[in-house]
Amino acid sequence: METSQMQKPLLGGKLSDESFITVFMVGVLIVVFGIACIFVPNFYKPQNMLNLITNNWYIIVLGIGITFVMITGNYDMSVGGNIALTGVLSVYFCQGVNVSQNPLANGLGLPYILAIGLALLCAMGVGAVNAFFIAKLKVPSIIVTLGTMMLARGAAQVITQGAQRNTSLPDAFGVLGSLGIPGTSIRLPVLVMIALIILAFIFEKKTVFARRIYLIGANPVAARLSGVNVGGYLTALYIVSGLLAGITGILLASEFEAGVSNRAMGYEFDALVIVLLGGISITGGFGSVLGMFVGAIILSVVTSAATGMLFSPDWQFTLKAIVTFIAILTQRFALDKRKG
Amino acid sequence: MDSITTGVSSKEQPNVTTILKESTILQMDRSATLRANIKRFYIYIVLVLIVLVFSLMKLDQVTFFERGHFLSPDSIINLLRSAVPILTLSGAFTLLMISGYIDLSVGSAMSLAAVVFAWLILNGFSFLPAFVITLILGAILGSLNGYLVMKLRITPVIATLVTLSLFKGIALLIVPDGSSAIKGSAEKVMPAWINDYARKDVLLGLPWAFWVAVLVILLLVIVQRKTLLGKYATAIGGNRIAADLSGINAVRIVGLLYVMVGFFAALAGMARASYMSLGDPLSGDGMELDCIIAVLLGGTAFSGGEGSVAKTVVGALIIICVTIGLMTVIPAYWQTMAKGGVLVAAVTLNHLLVREKAKA
Repeated sequence: METSQMQKPLLGGKLSDESFITVFMVGVLIVVFGIACIFVPNFYKPQNMLNLITNNWYIIVLGIGITFVMITGNYDMSVGGNIALTGVLSVYFCQGVNVSQNPLANGLGLPYILAIGLALLCAMGVGAVNAFFIAKLKVPSIIVTLGTMMLARGAAQVITQGAQRNTSLPDAFGVLGSLGIPGTSIRLPVLVMIALIILAFIFEKKTVFARRIYLIGANPVAARLSGVNVGGYLTALYIVSGLLAGITGILLASEFEAGVSNRAMGYEFDALVIVLLGGISITGGFGSVLGMFVGAIILSVVTSAATGMLFSPDWQFTLKAIVTFIAILTQRFALDKRKG
Repeated sequence: MDSITTGVSSKEQPNVTTILKESTILQMDRSATLRANIKRFYIYIVLVLIVLVFSLMKLDQVTFFERGHFLSPDSIINLLRSAVPILTLSGAFTLLMISGYIDLSVGSAMSLAAVVFAWLILNGFSFLPAFVITLILGAILGSLNGYLVMKLRITPVIATLVTLSLFKGIALLIVPDGSSAIKGSAEKVMPAWINDYARKDVLLGLPWAFWVAVLVILLLVIVQRKTLLGKYATAIGGNRIAADLSGINAVRIVGLLYVMVGFFAALAGMARASYMSLGDPLSGDGMELDCIIAVLLGGTAFSGGEGSVAKTVVGALIIICVTIGLMTVIPAYWQTMAKGGVLVAAVTLNHLLVREKAKA
């Protein structure tokens, strides 16, 4: 009896706060998109709408990992550096041995598959280092991950001597990044992104693991006392976040057929921005992958509309900052209103 | 006999246990004092070691205390001049971290101040008005951070990361298209005296900017040790709720600390603009990490409630020594990794030596 009574309002269509915020941000997206269509010629065309999603696949892939890390109340600022490191490593591992006088043309000569595997392992290693400091030593995640960001990017710079590696690559190297559905702008990385989003969505809604992530975020002490291995969960999440950054790094390196040490500068900030736009709260236990996805499209609409209105690229920093503040404040206002 | 023996032994037994207890207490005490002593002095030892290592590295090339050596007067003056921005800034940064808050936007605030200062001077302002206007700007940037964090209650890390982007964006927008910095050109010449503040020798071979930084440090050491502001900062960092309940206006105190950080970031930015005779919108990048490293090396607790401005200064000197020293021995592309390594080492050291307050 009681349970059925308690479930009644739920069945009656009452949204959870998370779904409410997601719906709210979809509303914002429609408004922003409408405004962009008025001011920017051809903004409404299907090809442009498709590009809004496909051009941002890397930020969305990173956003998945960051979403879950942030739901636990932690940050991961190491992803940008991790992308650079993985990309550079995937190049370095499969470059030919002693092919040239130039040290930047010589690598380890491993098969491409092995190179990718090892690079991904290193990416997960960065995540594991983060997890060690955060879960074991209880150091604030923002400080550690800023440190590992520098370590990872620094390692990439050391391997490329501050530049890039792009010679004596095997033929297989460029395949991953350039494969695509013929006649469309949809390439393999975009498909990977879509697959990962669906996977993350199912994971978030259907697994006990995900529900415990929310518990850790909402109340870490309660989670620990009720027998949840908080450290283990954090470790898993950071390694997954590192893995996603690694996948991004490998796909980007393949797309450009180069391992560039300055690749993905500031991506950690963009990923943080889309997660915040999606309504995920750093105070923990609140947010959804779907929200992050909506946030990513909002950011994409705003930045490409600004470019379309011939703003100089220098505007992007200011624009992102203003959009984020507005998003944080309106989301809070909307949630407060809803609670009465 | 038996009763006597038992009597004796029963008298002795408590003795033994007390001795045992005392010795363990003594041991614990000793390890605690050892720890306290290590904590008190390690930073000076680290600094001395680093200076020693770098001076030995160059020994085979040049003799001691000569031009070019790490410890030559020229190189020390050079080192102290490059240390001006972080020395100016890290004191206020420490006070903010003692109160348990953080400002990641300091680097961008510095860049923005540098750009505005250079722009003002390029457009005909004389030194003093430009100086004052930039300082006011810094205080405004700081108060924006304070408002976002304390009044609107946005998490400090997020609020200041977003203002990092905001300040940097504004600095980039001030710089004209097609140019990387505010600098003199054929039509508009940057006055040569912009250099005076950070390069002209006024005392002991060191410029005004350095002595201002020293003054700032002395001031902030006094603020931290002798004034209510310092005590309140410690109290807020130690236990925010207790501080609130005992009538400390945390919103106002921490807000004031944010304003101070912005103010000194502007001061540091001007020193850099004057040193380079241009306003570079990226010149402050990474300053927040340098400040964090200095503060952590100085033994300030992550979560606040404990720390020392004076030790942060030693931490800042360590970073500058490492940065400058490494420049002379390894290629530039090692710098990022070295700094990341120093940060992770500082985090580890800090974890080992600073007792965190009990987690709630």
